[in-house]
Amino acid sequence: MHTEKQVLVFLEIERGALHPMAAEALTAGKQVAQNLRAELAAVIMGSGIADTAQNVRRYGADRVYVVEHASLETYHGEYFCLALSELCRTAPPAVILMINTLIGLDLAPRLAWNLDAGLVTDCVAIDAFDGEITFTKPIYSGNIMAVYTPVTTPTLVTVRPRSFTALSFLDTPLGEIVPVSVALDQASAKTTLVERTLEQGDGIRLETAERIVAGGRGIGKAEGFTLLKTMAETLGAAIGASRPPCDLGWVSSKAQVGQTGEIVAPGLYIAVGISGSTQHLAGMAGSKTIVAINKDPQANIFKIADYGVVGNYEDIIPVLNETLQEILA
Amino acid sequence: MHIIVCMKQVPDPEGPRDAFEVNQASGLVEPRGIPPVLSLFDENALEMALRIKDVHPAGAAVSVISLGKRISSAVMLKALAAGADEIVKIEDETLDAGRLDSFATAHLLAAAIRKIPYDLIITGRQAADFNDGQVGIGLAHILDLPVVTLARAVTVQGSELRAERVLAHGYEVMCAPLPAVIMASNEVGELRYPSMIQRREAKQKPVRTWGLADIGLAAPPATRLTRKRLYAPELRERQCRMFSAGSPADAVRNLAMQLKEDRVI
Repeated sequence: MHTEKQVLVFLEIERGALHPMAAEALTAGKQVAQNLRAELAAVIMGSGIADTAQNVRRYGADRVYVVEHASLETYHGEYFCLALSELCRTAPPAVILMINTLIGLDLAPRLAWNLDAGLVTDCVAIDAFDGEITFTKPIYSGNIMAVYTPVTTPTLVTVRPRSFTALSFLDTPLGEIVPVSVALDQASAKTTLVERTLEQGDGIRLETAERIVAGGRGIGKAEGFTLLKTMAETLGAAIGASRPPCDLGWVSSKAQVGQTGEIVAPGLYIAVGISGSTQHLAGMAGSKTIVAINKDPQANIFKIADYGVVGNYEDIIPVLNETLQEILA
Repeated sequence: MHIIVCMKQVPDPEGPRDAFEVNQASGLVEPRGIPPVLSLFDENALEMALRIKDVHPAGAAVSVISLGKRISSAVMLKALAAGADEIVKIEDETLDAGRLDSFATAHLLAAAIRKIPYDLIITGRQAADFNDGQVGIGLAHILDLPVVTLARAVTVQGSELRAERVLAHGYEVMCAPLPAVIMASNEVGELRYPSMIQRREAKQKPVRTWGLADIGLAAPPATRLTRKRLYAPELRERQCRMFSAGSPADAVRNLAMQLKEDRVI
């Protein structure tokens, strides 16, 4: 049994590789560990993940738990929760941290209930206050921040993507690899995976994109997004959308940016035909630079934008795209 | 088939920023001048229940449970008009949403749910005020039921459900025996719009109101987190530089050049 106080960071494996936000997760974990004067441990779970484990050693964790089991090859909430619970029993962490991805959304509450532990989801800051560690999350559409301290041991936290600037790589791998074997009772699962359909993502991933071109209700039709996609290609940007185009089927629901959907913070966010509902702003207000293009000069989006143009996007985007092509050539 | 949908009344999330005021004395956020509404995510959950009701051969009864200090009948009428069959309100002065965490909320809801027959429980993926996203899984844990989260579509065949669950790069189909819990994804889409007749009829539908004693509890369960403080975050000041000089094409080209000059691109 491990006796040092430790902070455990769960890292996702996606298509055989470490999730792009792993470095961010470990950066946040390191903050927690420093606050608690605890060691930083990472855990990866899967099947045939020895190479990935070596990769994790470069991110500065003191220890990397490697949980290998055939039932963990792809994500199943019940098996992942069982395996992680077992690890937490043999090496009890003070805090368990993961990123607020779709997997984090499922796994963190499962684990919290299973361990009878408190959970702060969607945390954007980790600080100390009155000698206690605090976890801060936005509530009421980001209009208010709530600051929590742990009551239970462990306490769980999921952090919002792009809230912590990732540490840079170490040249020399550190950290010991600790293989963990778990007994997973397959008969205990209450849900069964029947089939999985993976869609070929067209273009750049929204959640890690440095630039995003997003369309709103003002785009008016599915074909309108073709214009945006052309400009996105020029910029090497991902395609985003506010809620209406997703609900209306003009664009994949995976493109949705906002409180519902992806919360993003790219270097450049170009909002086209987006009026700027609170729901949408809550998902992109953290962008470094915001460009707004809207035919309504009173649109709310201009209040949080750095650059604005009033006009019909069908006239603006082709000219903008052409000029960008010249500039970036 | 009996479906329970858990729905929360929240201050309108689209309300202006200054409508959300922190009362430091009470440690609560006091919304000013904005109406309560059904949490959008819970509307997704109700829509999912109504779609099952639409196609289930034996039909389905949909009960909406809501928990709070004071629950507006006008807000709940929207759920009845859309097609829910009854409302069960759990009301008590101690049930302020700002004082409960997911742990307490799930235990309170589970205590109420045990008093109602059900085959399926549907919740939203999170509430639109605190966005915690833990109650559905909590209900499943407390009631020892299977749970599928982030479900965008559900079909029921006999005593089994099939749910399409959203993944980062696609979706998967999960099977579970009933009774079960589903956390609906926002991808279910908006709640249907009721007709005038449905709105009129909604007023005749049953509304039950229970107190803590009715669900066998003396007080709300203890929370699993301590909230130290609440504050309004500072807004990052942004000065929007508008490009309007010259022809529309000139304005756009000037914008692009400025982005280049400011090293945005």
